[in-house]
Amino acid sequence: MTQHGAYSIVVNIKSGMRQPLYDLLQKIDDGGVEDNDIIPFKKITTIHFARFVILDACKDAYGQDIPARLAFTTNYDLPLNNHMQQMIAVAGKGLWQLFSMCEDFPQGPFNASMLDAYFQDYSKKAETFYVGVGNRSVQQIREEHVLRNAINDYTDQNRQSIHQQSAVAARQQIIDYVNGNPDLAFAKIPVPAASKKWDAAFYGKLIGVIILFIVFLPIIIPFVIVWMLIMLSIEIREKQVPNNLTKDHIRELVNRETQMVQAQFSALGNVKPGKFRLATMMFLLRTTDFLAPYLFAKGKLSGIPTVHFARWLIIDEGRQMLFLSNYDGNSENYLRDFIHIAAKQLTLMFCHTEGYPKTRLMVFGGAKDAEGFMQWARAKQIITNVWYSANKEVSVKNIYNNSKIRNGLYGTMTETEASEWLRSI
Amino acid sequence: MQLEINDIQGLVIRGYSNLPAADFLILSVTDTTAAKKWLAAIQKDVTPGHHKPKEIAVHIAFSFEGLKQIGLDRASLDSFPIELEDGMTTRHKQQFLGDFGNSAPDNWEWGGRANEPVHILLMIYAKDAATLDARTQAYLAQLPQGGLKLLNHLGTTVLYERKEHFGFRDGISQPTIKGLSRSDSDENSVEPGEFILGYRNGYNQFTPSPYIAAAADPKNLLPQSSVNGMHDLGRNGTYVVFRQMKQDVSLFWKYMDKATQNADGSNNEPAMIKLAAQMVGRWPNGTPIVVCPDGERPHMEDDNNFDFRNSDPHGLKCPFASHIRRSNPKDSLDTDRKTSISVSNKHRILRRGRSYGPPIAATLKPIDCLNATKCDDDRGLHFICLGADIGRQFEFVQNAWINNPKFNGLYEERDAITGNHHNPQDPRTTGTFAVQHPGLRVRYTDIPEFVTIRGGAYFFMPGIKALQYLSSL
Repeated sequence: MTQHGAYSIVVNIKSGMRQPLYDLLQKIDDGGVEDNDIIPFKKITTIHFARFVILDACKDAYGQDIPARLAFTTNYDLPLNNHMQQMIAVAGKGLWQLFSMCEDFPQGPFNASMLDAYFQDYSKKAETFYVGVGNRSVQQIREEHVLRNAINDYTDQNRQSIHQQSAVAARQQIIDYVNGNPDLAFAKIPVPAASKKWDAAFYGKLIGVIILFIVFLPIIIPFVIVWMLIMLSIEIREKQVPNNLTKDHIRELVNRETQMVQAQFSALGNVKPGKFRLATMMFLLRTTDFLAPYLFAKGKLSGIPTVHFARWLIIDEGRQMLFLSNYDGNSENYLRDFIHIAAKQLTLMFCHTEGYPKTRLMVFGGAKDAEGFMQWARAKQIITNVWYSANKEVSVKNIYNNSKIRNGLYGTMTETEASEWLRSI
Repeated sequence: MQLEINDIQGLVIRGYSNLPAADFLILSVTDTTAAKKWLAAIQKDVTPGHHKPKEIAVHIAFSFEGLKQIGLDRASLDSFPIELEDGMTTRHKQQFLGDFGNSAPDNWEWGGRANEPVHILLMIYAKDAATLDARTQAYLAQLPQGGLKLLNHLGTTVLYERKEHFGFRDGISQPTIKGLSRSDSDENSVEPGEFILGYRNGYNQFTPSPYIAAAADPKNLLPQSSVNGMHDLGRNGTYVVFRQMKQDVSLFWKYMDKATQNADGSNNEPAMIKLAAQMVGRWPNGTPIVVCPDGERPHMEDDNNFDFRNSDPHGLKCPFASHIRRSNPKDSLDTDRKTSISVSNKHRILRRGRSYGPPIAATLKPIDCLNATKCDDDRGLHFICLGADIGRQFEFVQNAWINNPKFNGLYEERDAITGNHHNPQDPRTTGTFAVQHPGLRVRYTDIPEFVTIRGGAYFFMPGIKALQYLSSL
């Protein structure tokens, strides 16, 4: 079983280097994100998704200047060390070239160990990391899609014989086909499931936290009430910051959405002023980070069934929130899903940024103002300069169903179970 | 809020089934001054919603370019939504709507990249062909003097039993606008602001409405806008999506025939009709297959009162990829039932389409269509739909549901009837369609495109007062 990590690095761009950096990133995009010779992403086989985003110079909620930054993030197969080594081995020189336009980067020609050290020193942990397609490596996702397509073609060609048999016999015929096909040799054995020890640790952690929560409930309840009252008073006094959104900004964003199946979203916003706001936000994001694997298992982020990975980063000493996600469809549908399916949960996490529609107690209002939410989201959305997806032809639902097909190849099944399995093909 | 029905163009309220003859004139403005005069004269002909015309009805709508041509200022133009401004032929919209291959806007007959810009859509409905012809000819005669040029004269046809060319009863599932006299189930009743600007929509909000500076409306023809110092140009108006869809009826039935032939190569008529019905989701007479999977019933043709979730969770009656299950998924989206219905109702459209071109066989019976010998006439559907938010309604349905190969858990199935399989990233240029079974599905492959887009544009259909304002510019 493969677990996932979210690597992030956000560093200031050297003064005067924003344009050359932009141009170089554009060159990666123009050269084909998979095979370009600067960062040939396809060869970095531990990456699910990766992106480079230039965060332009701006002012924070206090009116202080924030310089232009470069963000580079990956969703990768653990362990991190392996991912780093591979990335540096394959694309070290390109990364060196890019990051040498950033501050505090070592001088001189490419040096693998110095790059590694830089990537470790300046890496940034996401406050919240959501995994929609958990426990699958890049390779497994690809292989299971190949398997599903092969089984589909096979069943099309052998429709007559399969339909004339019982479900159990039809399943066996498919298993025999898979086992006899050298291209599908990987499917002969199942992917190892989580060990009992892993499971025990995973659920033990949750149970521990629940017990602590119950024990301290008498203290937590009054604390939360007071906290919420303070928050409410802040919300009432807060001045709404207008979102400046132009049609040209929307055009620039959607023109870059050219993939058929998946799309990405990058958004940058100022955290509202005040230490109380910052502390509340950090607590909520980190709590969500802890609970997400338990609450949002099975590929649904608060009920939204299309998100592969998402992360919330708080950068520049708590002054800005950077949100990055990879999902199926396009940004218009994606934002509508936020409003229709997960308005309250996502309001709780996003309402701490300027321009978000007015809230009460951090869940009421907010995204219920659909018009205001769309304005905010589009205004905060920024261009993703380079975006890579390793398995760009599969949706979250495809990935889950492909695993179901694969797992159905093992063990015995009753006629009913076999029928159900055949239906998933 | 009471609907100001006398200020709404009547097409929003009714589809004029009593006025079966119709002509659509696609016009461009050649002389602004003359066109404004013509507009001032013709606006008296436009049918308001409180009239129930028995003889003739006239409607008018403007493209973004059209509004510009008749002299609307830049600030007012900017207050229109990006969808109207950009139209349906930008690179992004081509991708979003899936207009590739023969349907690419480069190949259109009107409204496309190589065509003259469309400015005005004039719609004429009449009780019979003679009445229609008289009126259309009268309008055509006015055009040169009115500073207008005819780009395209789109005629229509009434087909047997109100079917479309493939032989299926069309226009059955329509949302009911709350506040009109008709009443309907809660699930099919939609807030008026979904279709008419100036009213609350499904989010209990007002859809942004275009406006003009108060100073530009000295006669106070228009009401106050919610934007300070502005008058509301959008109130009681709506947007029109017009797409000319050419239908290849012969190709359609030949595919169904070939896919279902008996072992000896002879036609299997019931199987052929059933496959087509599965792709549509209804039998030719309109009976929903999720209710009657075994065949059409005479009294079920307008039935809309069905769900998918409980009656057909595995798609065994109505396949997951069928046209009606994806153009209005009702309760079948992957959320709880209530959310699914509420989501679906945020993406409804009012359909006002009409067929054009001679039927391939007068009866429209599948076997007659299959055996027809004269097949090369131009025929199809003028797809017309109305809504207050083109992006959230028509474009969303087309992009996220109809033409999305991953819709609701699918892999590579676009709408078998209207999907486009020529996206440059498509692995092949034909479609697939799976019919679910208790065990393994039956998958039909190599489905060609039965429908080709031949033209299209987005229009703003103003309220009656806004039309008066526009003609006074």
